[in-house]
Amino acid sequence: MAPEAHLSHLHRADGSATYTHNGYSVIGAVNGPIEVQRRDEMPEEATLEIHVRPAAGIGSPKERHLETLLHNTLRSIILTRSIPRTLVQITLQVRSLPEGGTVTDVNTSLALLPHLLQTALLTLLSASIPLSTTLTSVLVAIPASKSSKPIAPLLAPTADDLLRARPIRSTHVFAFSGNRKLLLNESHGVFTYEEWDEACEMAEEVCCKDKGGVGLNEGVEVDGSQVNLDEWLRSVVKRKVEVEQRWRIAP
Amino acid sequence: MATSSTVLLPGDSISPSALPKPQNRKKHLTLGPGLRHMPPNTIASTIAGLLVTDSKKNAAWVEYNSGRYLPAAGDLVIATVNTSGGENFNCLITPNTPYASLPHLAFEGATRKTRPQLSSNSLVYCRVINPGKDSFPELTCVDPSTGKSEGLGPLKGGMVFKISLGMARRLLAGKKGGVTLLEGLSEKLGFEVAIGRNGVLWVDGGSVKATLAVGRAVQEVDEQALGEKGQKKLVEKVLRGL
Repeated sequence: MAPEAHLSHLHRADGSATYTHNGYSVIGAVNGPIEVQRRDEMPEEATLEIHVRPAAGIGSPKERHLETLLHNTLRSIILTRSIPRTLVQITLQVRSLPEGGTVTDVNTSLALLPHLLQTALLTLLSASIPLSTTLTSVLVAIPASKSSKPIAPLLAPTADDLLRARPIRSTHVFAFSGNRKLLLNESHGVFTYEEWDEACEMAEEVCCKDKGGVGLNEGVEVDGSQVNLDEWLRSVVKRKVEVEQRWRIAP
Repeated sequence: MATSSTVLLPGDSISPSALPKPQNRKKHLTLGPGLRHMPPNTIASTIAGLLVTDSKKNAAWVEYNSGRYLPAAGDLVIATVNTSGGENFNCLITPNTPYASLPHLAFEGATRKTRPQLSSNSLVYCRVINPGKDSFPELTCVDPSTGKSEGLGPLKGGMVFKISLGMARRLLAGKKGGVTLLEGLSEKLGFEVAIGRNGVLWVDGGSVKATLAVGRAVQEVDEQALGEKGQKKLVEKVLRGL
Protein backbone atom coordinates (compact mmCIF):
# COMPACT_ATOMS: atom_id res chain seq x y z
CA MET A 1 0.00 0.00 0.00
CA ALA A 2 1.33 3.41 -0.89
CA PRO A 3 1.88 5.89 1.92
CA GLU A 4 -0.36 8.92 2.12
CA ALA A 5 0.97 12.45 2.46
CA HIS A 6 -0.54 15.89 2.95
CA LEU A 7 1.75 18.87 2.60
CA SER A 8 1.58 22.40 4.04
CA HIS A 9 -1.70 21.97 5.89
CA LEU A 10 -0.70 23.82 9.08
CA HIS A 11 -0.90 27.52 8.32
CA ARG A 12 1.17 28.85 11.22
CA ALA A 13 4.24 26.69 10.59
CA ASP A 14 6.70 27.40 7.79
CA GLY A 15 6.33 23.86 6.56
CA SER A 16 4.21 20.92 7.57
CA ALA A 17 3.21 17.44 6.48
CA THR A 18 1.16 14.50 7.63
CA TYR A 19 2.36 11.06 6.65
CA THR A 20 0.23 7.95 7.02
CA HIS A 21 1.47 4.47 6.29
CA ASN A 22 0.74 0.99 7.65
CA GLY A 23 -1.32 2.33 10.52
CA TYR A 24 1.32 4.86 11.57
CA SER A 25 0.37 8.51 11.29
CA VAL A 26 2.82 11.32 12.01
CA ILE A 27 2.31 15.08 11.82
CA GLY A 28 5.43 17.12 11.25
CA ALA A 29 6.08 20.86 11.35
CA VAL A 30 9.16 22.89 10.51
CA ASN A 31 9.96 26.41 11.57
CA GLY A 32 12.97 27.93 9.99
CA PRO A 33 15.31 29.45 9.26
CA ILE A 34 14.68 31.43 12.46
CA GLU A 35 16.76 33.13 15.11
CA VAL A 36 18.94 30.78 17.09
CA GLN A 37 19.73 31.01 20.78
CA ARG A 38 23.13 32.44 21.43
CA ARG A 39 24.52 29.29 23.07
CA ASP A 40 23.41 27.08 20.12
CA GLU A 41 24.61 29.48 17.45
CA MET A 42 27.21 28.18 15.02
CA PRO A 43 29.05 30.82 12.98
CA GLU A 44 29.07 28.88 9.73
CA GLU A 45 26.23 26.42 10.00
CA ALA A 46 22.58 26.19 10.79
CA THR A 47 21.50 24.55 14.02
CA LEU A 48 19.01 21.72 13.80
CA GLU A 49 16.53 20.99 16.54
CA ILE A 50 14.30 17.92 16.49
CA HIS A 51 11.44 17.12 18.81
CA VAL A 52 9.71 13.77 18.70
CA ARG A 53 6.46 13.54 20.61
CA PRO A 54 4.95 10.14 21.28
CA ALA A 55 1.31 9.25 20.61
CA ALA A 56 0.58 9.09 24.34
CA GLY A 57 2.34 10.52 27.35
CA ILE A 58 5.46 12.61 27.47
CA GLY A 59 8.78 11.93 25.81
CA SER A 60 11.15 9.36 27.29
CA PRO A 61 14.77 8.37 26.58
CA LYS A 62 13.40 6.33 23.67
CA GLU A 63 12.27 9.52 21.95
CA ARG A 64 15.58 11.20 22.78
CA HIS A 65 17.35 8.34 21.04
CA LEU A 66 15.15 8.72 17.95
CA GLU A 67 15.82 12.45 17.98
CA THR A 68 19.57 11.83 17.92
CA LEU A 69 19.28 9.43 15.00
CA LEU A 70 17.07 11.86 13.07
CA HIS A 71 19.36 14.75 13.90
CA ASN A 72 22.43 13.05 12.50
CA THR A 73 20.67 11.81 9.38
CA LEU A 74 18.91 15.06 8.52
CA ARG A 75 21.99 17.10 9.23
CA SER A 76 23.74 15.27 6.42
CA ILE A 77 21.11 16.24 3.84
CA ILE A 78 20.29 19.82 4.90
CA LEU A 79 22.64 22.39 3.35
CA THR A 80 23.40 23.88 6.75
CA ARG A 81 26.16 26.07 5.37
CA SER A 82 23.82 28.00 3.11
CA ILE A 83 21.78 29.25 6.08
CA PRO A 84 24.41 29.98 8.73
CA ARG A 85 23.57 31.21 12.25
CA THR A 86 19.96 30.14 11.99
CA LEU A 87 17.80 27.49 13.56
CA VAL A 88 15.69 24.88 11.80
CA GLN A 89 13.20 23.44 14.21
CA ILE A 90 11.43 20.20 13.36
CA THR A 91 8.61 18.85 15.51
CA LEU A 92 7.21 15.40 14.85
CA GLN A 93 4.06 14.37 16.63
CA VAL A 94 3.11 10.71 16.40
CA ARG A 95 -0.62 10.73 15.97
CA SER A 96 -1.49 7.07 15.83
CA LEU A 97 0.23 3.72 15.99
CA PRO A 98 -1.10 0.51 14.45
CA GLU A 99 -3.29 -1.56 16.70
CA GLY A 100 -1.46 -4.45 18.26
CA GLY A 101 1.85 -2.87 17.39
CA THR A 102 3.24 -3.42 20.85
CA VAL A 103 2.71 -7.17 21.12
CA THR A 104 5.04 -8.06 18.28
CA ASP A 105 8.63 -8.74 19.20
CA VAL A 106 9.86 -5.82 17.11
CA ASN A 107 11.52 -2.90 18.81
CA THR A 108 8.78 -0.27 18.71
CA SER A 109 11.07 2.70 18.29
CA LEU A 110 12.81 0.99 15.39
CA ALA A 111 9.49 0.34 13.67
CA LEU A 112 8.60 4.00 14.05
CA LEU A 113 11.91 5.36 12.76
CA PRO A 114 11.31 5.09 8.98
CA HIS A 115 7.98 6.84 9.34
CA LEU A 116 9.58 9.68 11.29
CA LEU A 117 12.32 10.05 8.69
CA GLN A 118 9.83 10.15 5.82
CA THR A 119 7.69 12.74 7.61
CA ALA A 120 10.70 14.88 8.43
CA LEU A 121 11.76 14.94 4.78
CA LEU A 122 8.27 15.90 3.61
CA THR A 123 8.10 18.76 6.10
CA LEU A 124 11.52 20.01 4.98
CA LEU A 125 10.34 19.93 1.36
CA SER A 126 7.22 21.82 2.37
CA ALA A 127 9.28 24.45 4.20
CA SER A 128 11.64 24.83 1.20
CA ILE A 129 14.71 24.36 3.37
CA PRO A 130 17.74 23.92 1.07
CA LEU A 131 18.63 20.23 0.88
CA SER A 132 21.50 18.50 -0.87
CA THR A 133 19.42 15.46 -1.69
CA THR A 134 16.26 13.62 -0.77
CA LEU A 135 15.85 10.70 1.60
CA THR A 136 13.72 7.57 1.65
CA SER A 137 13.55 5.04 4.42
CA VAL A 138 12.09 1.58 4.96
CA LEU A 139 11.86 -1.15 7.58
CA VAL A 140 12.91 -4.74 6.83
CA ALA A 141 12.09 -7.58 9.21
CA ILE A 142 13.60 -11.06 9.03
CA PRO A 143 11.49 -13.77 10.65
CA ALA A 144 13.13 -16.70 12.37
CA SER A 145 12.86 -19.90 10.34
CA LYS A 146 11.90 -23.09 12.07
CA SER A 147 13.51 -25.28 9.46
CA SER A 148 16.97 -24.80 8.03
CA LYS A 149 15.49 -23.06 4.98
CA PRO A 150 15.80 -19.29 5.29
CA ILE A 151 12.61 -17.21 5.09
CA ALA A 152 12.34 -14.23 2.80
CA PRO A 153 12.63 -10.92 4.66
CA LEU A 154 9.50 -8.82 5.05
CA LEU A 155 9.70 -5.40 3.41
CA ALA A 156 7.82 -2.52 5.07
CA PRO A 157 5.64 -5.00 6.98
CA THR A 158 2.35 -4.02 8.55
CA ALA A 159 1.61 -4.84 12.18
CA ASP A 160 -0.47 -7.81 10.99
CA ASP A 161 2.38 -9.13 8.85
CA LEU A 162 4.70 -9.00 11.82
CA LEU A 163 2.19 -10.71 14.07
CA ARG A 164 1.72 -13.54 11.60
CA ALA A 165 5.44 -13.97 10.99
CA ARG A 166 6.34 -14.25 14.66
CA PRO A 167 8.94 -14.85 15.97
CA ILE A 168 10.93 -12.07 14.27
CA ARG A 169 14.66 -12.62 14.48
CA SER A 170 15.97 -9.25 13.40
CA THR A 171 14.70 -5.88 12.17
CA HIS A 172 16.59 -3.35 10.12
CA VAL A 173 15.91 0.26 9.21
CA PHE A 174 17.58 1.63 6.12
CA ALA A 175 17.58 5.18 4.82
CA PHE A 176 18.91 5.99 1.38
CA SER A 177 19.67 9.34 -0.19
CA GLY A 178 18.42 10.27 -3.65
CA ASN A 179 21.76 9.20 -5.14
CA ARG A 180 21.57 5.65 -3.71
CA LYS A 181 23.88 6.29 -0.77
CA LEU A 182 23.11 4.55 2.51
CA LEU A 183 22.51 7.30 5.04
CA LEU A 184 21.32 5.37 8.06
CA ASN A 185 21.18 1.78 9.19
CA GLU A 186 19.84 0.63 12.52
CA SER A 187 19.63 -3.10 13.10
CA HIS A 188 18.24 -5.01 16.01
CA GLY A 189 18.36 -8.74 16.76
CA VAL A 190 20.46 -11.65 15.55
CA PHE A 191 21.46 -11.85 11.91
CA THR A 192 24.28 -12.94 9.62
CA TYR A 193 26.19 -10.84 7.13
CA GLU A 194 24.32 -12.52 4.27
CA GLU A 195 20.97 -11.73 5.81
CA TRP A 196 21.96 -8.11 6.29
CA ASP A 197 23.17 -7.89 2.71
CA GLU A 198 19.90 -9.29 1.41
CA ALA A 199 17.86 -6.92 3.56
CA CYS A 200 19.95 -3.95 2.42
CA GLU A 201 19.51 -4.88 -1.23
CA MET A 202 15.78 -5.22 -0.80
CA ALA A 203 15.57 -1.83 0.88
CA GLU A 204 17.67 -0.20 -1.82
CA GLU A 205 15.39 -1.63 -4.48
CA VAL A 206 12.30 -0.08 -2.96
CA CYS A 207 13.87 3.21 -1.77
CA CYS A 208 15.84 4.28 -4.81
CA LYS A 209 14.84 4.85 -8.38
CA ASP A 210 15.73 2.33 -11.04
CA LYS A 211 19.16 2.70 -12.45
CA GLY A 212 17.69 1.87 -15.83
CA GLY A 213 18.32 -1.35 -17.67
CA VAL A 214 18.35 -4.75 -16.06
CA GLY A 215 19.42 -4.56 -12.45
CA LEU A 216 21.19 -7.26 -10.51
CA ASN A 217 18.28 -7.54 -8.11
CA GLU A 218 15.83 -8.59 -10.75
CA GLY A 219 15.32 -11.96 -9.17
CA VAL A 220 14.42 -10.55 -5.76
CA GLU A 221 10.72 -10.83 -5.18
CA VAL A 222 9.37 -7.51 -4.17
CA ASP A 223 5.92 -7.56 -2.70
CA GLY A 224 3.63 -6.52 -5.54
CA SER A 225 1.80 -3.90 -3.49
CA GLN A 226 5.01 -2.13 -2.41
CA VAL A 227 5.59 1.10 -4.35
CA ASN A 228 8.96 2.55 -5.19
CA LEU A 229 9.48 5.28 -2.61
CA ASP A 230 11.50 7.55 -4.88
CA GLU A 231 8.72 7.50 -7.48
CA TRP A 232 6.18 8.07 -4.74
CA LEU A 233 8.10 11.11 -3.47
CA ARG A 234 8.21 12.53 -6.98
CA SER A 235 4.46 12.16 -7.30
CA VAL A 236 3.96 13.97 -3.98
CA VAL A 237 6.16 16.87 -5.10
CA LYS A 238 4.44 16.94 -8.48
CA ARG A 239 1.10 17.38 -6.74
CA LYS A 240 2.56 20.17 -4.57
CA VAL A 241 3.85 21.99 -7.67
CA GLU A 242 0.53 21.54 -9.44
CA VAL A 243 -1.34 23.16 -6.55
CA GLU A 244 1.15 26.04 -6.44
CA GLN A 245 1.05 26.66 -10.18
CA ARG A 246 -2.67 26.24 -10.76
CA TRP A 247 -3.15 30.01 -11.18
CA ARG A 248 -1.29 29.77 -14.48
CA ILE A 249 -4.00 27.62 -16.01
CA ALA A 250 -7.01 28.97 -14.11
CA PRO A 251 -9.73 30.52 -16.32
CA MET B 1 9.77 33.54 -20.41
CA ALA B 2 9.65 29.84 -21.04
CA THR B 3 8.16 27.67 -18.37
CA SER B 4 9.15 24.09 -18.68
CA SER B 5 7.24 21.43 -16.84
CA THR B 6 10.28 19.97 -15.12
CA VAL B 7 9.49 19.21 -11.52
CA LEU B 8 12.66 19.13 -9.46
CA LEU B 9 13.49 17.41 -6.21
CA PRO B 10 16.45 18.50 -4.10
CA GLY B 11 19.62 16.96 -5.44
CA ASP B 12 18.39 16.52 -9.02
CA SER B 13 21.05 17.65 -11.44
CA ILE B 14 19.86 19.68 -14.38
CA SER B 15 20.74 18.39 -17.80
CA PRO B 16 22.53 20.91 -20.05
CA SER B 17 19.65 20.65 -22.54
CA ALA B 18 17.22 22.01 -19.93
CA LEU B 19 19.32 25.13 -19.30
CA PRO B 20 18.47 28.31 -21.21
CA LYS B 21 20.02 28.84 -24.61
CA PRO B 22 21.19 32.43 -24.81
CA GLN B 23 21.23 34.30 -28.10
CA ASN B 24 24.00 36.45 -26.75
CA ARG B 25 26.98 34.22 -26.08
CA LYS B 26 28.72 36.76 -23.89
CA LYS B 27 26.06 36.68 -21.20
CA HIS B 28 26.88 34.48 -18.25
CA LEU B 29 24.38 31.99 -16.93
CA THR B 30 22.61 33.30 -13.84
CA LEU B 31 21.34 30.89 -11.23
CA GLY B 32 18.39 32.02 -9.17
CA PRO B 33 16.91 30.67 -5.94
CA GLY B 34 16.86 26.93 -5.48
CA LEU B 35 19.82 26.12 -7.72
CA ARG B 36 23.45 25.65 -6.89
CA HIS B 37 26.55 25.10 -8.94
CA MET B 38 28.86 22.29 -8.00
CA PRO B 39 32.21 22.64 -9.73
CA PRO B 40 33.20 21.76 -12.37
CA ASN B 41 29.89 21.82 -14.22
CA THR B 42 27.02 20.26 -12.35
CA ILE B 43 23.96 22.35 -11.60
CA ALA B 44 21.68 20.84 -8.98
CA SER B 45 18.49 21.94 -7.30
CA THR B 46 18.23 22.38 -3.56
CA ILE B 47 14.49 22.93 -3.30
CA ALA B 48 11.45 21.05 -4.58
CA GLY B 49 9.68 23.05 -7.24
CA LEU B 50 9.34 23.89 -10.90
CA LEU B 51 12.33 24.71 -13.08
CA VAL B 52 11.89 28.03 -14.88
CA THR B 53 14.31 29.34 -17.49
CA ASP B 54 14.61 32.66 -19.23
CA SER B 55 16.72 32.54 -22.36
CA LYS B 56 16.70 36.32 -22.83
CA LYS B 57 18.36 36.91 -19.48
CA ASN B 58 20.15 33.56 -19.59
CA ALA B 59 18.81 32.73 -16.17
CA ALA B 60 17.37 29.67 -14.48
CA TRP B 61 15.65 29.31 -11.14
CA VAL B 62 13.25 27.13 -9.19
CA GLU B 63 9.75 28.40 -8.65
CA TYR B 64 8.15 27.41 -5.36
CA ASN B 65 5.55 28.86 -3.08
CA SER B 66 6.08 27.60 0.43
CA GLY B 67 8.32 28.19 3.38
CA ARG B 68 9.65 31.26 5.05
CA TYR B 69 10.77 34.41 3.26
CA LEU B 70 14.55 34.68 2.95
CA PRO B 71 15.74 38.24 2.32
CA ALA B 72 17.53 38.92 -0.96
CA ALA B 73 19.26 42.14 -1.98
CA GLY B 74 16.95 44.54 -3.81
CA ASP B 75 13.68 43.03 -2.55
CA LEU B 76 10.92 45.36 -1.47
CA VAL B 77 9.58 44.35 1.94
CA ILE B 78 7.19 45.67 4.54
CA ALA B 79 9.07 45.62 7.83
CA THR B 80 7.72 46.14 11.33
CA VAL B 81 9.67 48.49 13.59
CA ASN B 82 10.39 46.82 16.90
CA THR B 83 12.69 49.14 18.80
CA SER B 84 14.70 52.23 18.04
CA GLY B 85 18.41 52.04 18.71
CA GLY B 86 21.03 54.77 18.81
CA GLU B 87 21.40 55.13 15.08
CA ASN B 88 18.91 52.74 13.56
CA PHE B 89 15.53 51.15 13.94
CA ASN B 90 15.45 47.45 14.71
CA CYS B 91 12.90 45.98 12.34
CA LEU B 92 11.43 42.54 11.73
CA ILE B 93 10.99 41.26 8.20
CA THR B 94 9.55 37.91 9.30
CA PRO B 95 8.73 36.91 12.87
CA ASN B 96 11.34 35.12 15.01
CA THR B 97 14.30 36.18 12.90
CA PRO B 98 17.19 38.45 13.87
CA TYR B 99 16.46 42.18 13.68
CA ALA B 100 17.04 43.96 10.41
CA SER B 101 18.56 47.39 10.82
CA LEU B 102 17.09 50.47 9.19
CA PRO B 103 19.29 53.52 9.78
CA HIS B 104 17.53 56.66 11.06
CA LEU B 105 19.08 58.59 8.19
CA ALA B 106 17.93 56.18 5.47
CA PHE B 107 14.76 58.19 4.81
CA GLU B 108 14.21 60.87 2.19
CA GLY B 109 15.40 64.22 3.45
CA ALA B 110 16.29 62.91 6.90
CA THR B 111 18.97 64.72 8.87
CA ARG B 112 20.07 64.31 12.46
CA LYS B 113 17.42 66.79 13.52
CA THR B 114 14.56 65.84 11.19
CA ARG B 115 14.70 62.08 11.35
CA PRO B 116 11.37 60.25 11.45
CA GLN B 117 10.00 59.22 14.80
CA LEU B 118 8.70 55.69 14.47
CA SER B 119 7.14 53.96 17.44
CA SER B 120 7.28 50.21 17.86
CA ASN B 121 4.92 48.21 15.62
CA SER B 122 4.80 50.89 12.93
CA LEU B 123 5.24 49.70 9.38
CA VAL B 124 7.90 50.71 6.90
CA TYR B 125 8.05 49.96 3.20
CA CYS B 126 11.71 49.49 2.44
CA ARG B 127 14.28 47.82 0.25
CA VAL B 128 16.74 45.15 1.37
CA ILE B 129 20.30 46.25 0.65
CA ASN B 130 22.07 43.43 2.41
CA PRO B 131 20.33 40.08 2.91
CA GLY B 132 22.45 39.48 5.98
CA LYS B 133 23.86 36.06 5.33
CA ASP B 134 27.05 36.93 7.18
CA SER B 135 25.62 39.59 9.49
CA PHE B 136 22.18 41.04 10.18
CA PRO B 137 19.98 42.24 7.28
CA GLU B 138 20.15 45.91 6.31
CA LEU B 139 17.25 47.97 4.98
CA THR B 140 16.90 51.38 3.40
CA CYS B 141 14.07 53.70 2.37
CA VAL B 142 16.00 55.77 -0.16
CA ASP B 143 17.65 55.10 -3.46
CA PRO B 144 21.35 55.53 -2.61
CA SER B 145 22.17 57.13 -5.98
CA THR B 146 19.42 59.77 -6.06
CA GLY B 147 18.54 60.20 -2.38
CA LYS B 148 14.85 60.03 -3.30
CA SER B 149 12.40 57.75 -1.55
CA GLU B 150 10.64 56.49 -4.71
CA GLY B 151 7.54 55.45 -2.84
CA LEU B 152 9.35 53.91 0.12
CA GLY B 153 8.93 55.11 3.68
CA PRO B 154 6.69 54.75 6.72
CA LEU B 155 3.19 53.40 6.03
CA LYS B 156 0.55 55.33 7.94
CA GLY B 157 -3.00 54.07 8.49
CA GLY B 158 -4.34 51.16 6.51
CA MET B 159 -4.21 47.49 7.34
CA VAL B 160 -1.88 44.57 6.77
CA PHE B 161 -2.93 41.31 5.11
CA LYS B 162 -0.93 38.12 4.92
CA ILE B 163 -0.50 36.69 1.44
CA SER B 164 1.62 33.84 0.14
CA LEU B 165 5.13 34.55 -1.07
CA GLY B 166 4.16 33.47 -4.57
CA MET B 167 1.24 35.91 -4.59
CA ALA B 168 3.54 38.75 -3.52
CA ARG B 169 5.88 37.89 -6.38
CA ARG B 170 2.95 37.78 -8.81
CA LEU B 171 1.66 41.17 -7.68
CA LEU B 172 5.10 42.72 -8.09
CA ALA B 173 5.70 41.06 -11.46
CA GLY B 174 3.02 43.18 -13.14
CA LYS B 175 1.48 41.67 -16.28
CA LYS B 176 3.42 38.42 -16.05
CA GLY B 177 1.89 37.71 -12.66
CA GLY B 178 -1.60 37.67 -14.12
CA VAL B 179 -3.27 39.66 -11.34
CA THR B 180 -5.82 42.03 -12.82
CA LEU B 181 -7.87 42.38 -9.65
CA LEU B 182 -6.31 45.61 -8.37
CA GLU B 183 -6.70 47.38 -11.71
CA GLY B 184 -10.29 46.21 -11.89
CA LEU B 185 -11.07 47.50 -8.43
CA SER B 186 -9.27 50.81 -8.99
CA GLU B 187 -11.70 51.75 -11.75
CA LYS B 188 -14.41 52.33 -9.18
CA LEU B 189 -12.53 52.54 -5.91
CA GLY B 190 -9.67 54.68 -4.69
CA PHE B 191 -7.08 52.92 -2.55
CA GLU B 192 -3.37 52.61 -1.90
CA VAL B 193 -1.45 49.34 -1.71
CA ALA B 194 2.10 48.36 -0.86
CA ILE B 195 3.33 44.84 -1.57
CA GLY B 196 6.16 43.32 0.45
CA ARG B 197 8.06 40.34 -0.89
CA ASN B 198 7.91 38.94 2.62
CA GLY B 199 4.27 38.01 2.06
CA VAL B 200 2.73 41.17 3.44
CA LEU B 201 0.15 43.32 1.70
CA TRP B 202 -0.68 46.77 3.05
CA VAL B 203 -3.92 48.38 1.95
CA ASP B 204 -5.37 51.80 2.73
CA GLY B 205 -8.77 52.40 1.19
CA GLY B 206 -9.78 55.49 3.16
CA SER B 207 -12.47 53.64 5.09
CA VAL B 208 -12.25 50.38 6.99
CA LYS B 209 -14.87 48.83 4.75
CA ALA B 210 -13.00 49.57 1.53
CA THR B 211 -9.67 48.52 3.02
CA LEU B 212 -11.05 45.18 4.15
CA ALA B 213 -12.79 44.58 0.83
CA VAL B 214 -9.58 45.10 -1.16
CA GLY B 215 -7.39 43.09 1.23
CA ARG B 216 -9.80 40.18 1.44
CA ALA B 217 -10.24 40.13 -2.33
CA VAL B 218 -6.49 39.79 -2.86
CA GLN B 219 -6.36 37.01 -0.28
CA GLU B 220 -9.19 35.23 -2.06
CA VAL B 221 -7.38 35.42 -5.40
CA ASP B 222 -4.34 33.97 -3.64
CA GLU B 223 -6.09 31.10 -1.89
CA GLN B 224 -8.35 30.04 -4.73
CA ALA B 225 -5.78 30.71 -7.48
CA LEU B 226 -8.33 32.65 -9.51
CA GLY B 227 -7.67 33.25 -13.18
CA GLU B 228 -8.58 36.33 -15.18
CA LYS B 229 -12.27 35.44 -15.44
CA GLY B 230 -12.54 34.55 -11.79
CA GLN B 231 -10.92 37.85 -10.83
CA LYS B 232 -13.34 39.82 -12.98
CA LYS B 233 -16.25 38.13 -11.26
CA LEU B 234 -14.71 38.85 -7.88
CA VAL B 235 -14.27 42.54 -8.76
CA GLU B 236 -17.96 42.79 -9.58
CA LYS B 237 -18.90 41.01 -6.38
CA VAL B 238 -16.70 43.27 -4.24
CA LEU B 239 -17.93 46.48 -5.88
CA ARG B 240 -21.54 45.39 -5.46
CA GLY B 241 -20.92 44.80 -1.76
CA LEU B 242 -19.63 48.31 -1.16
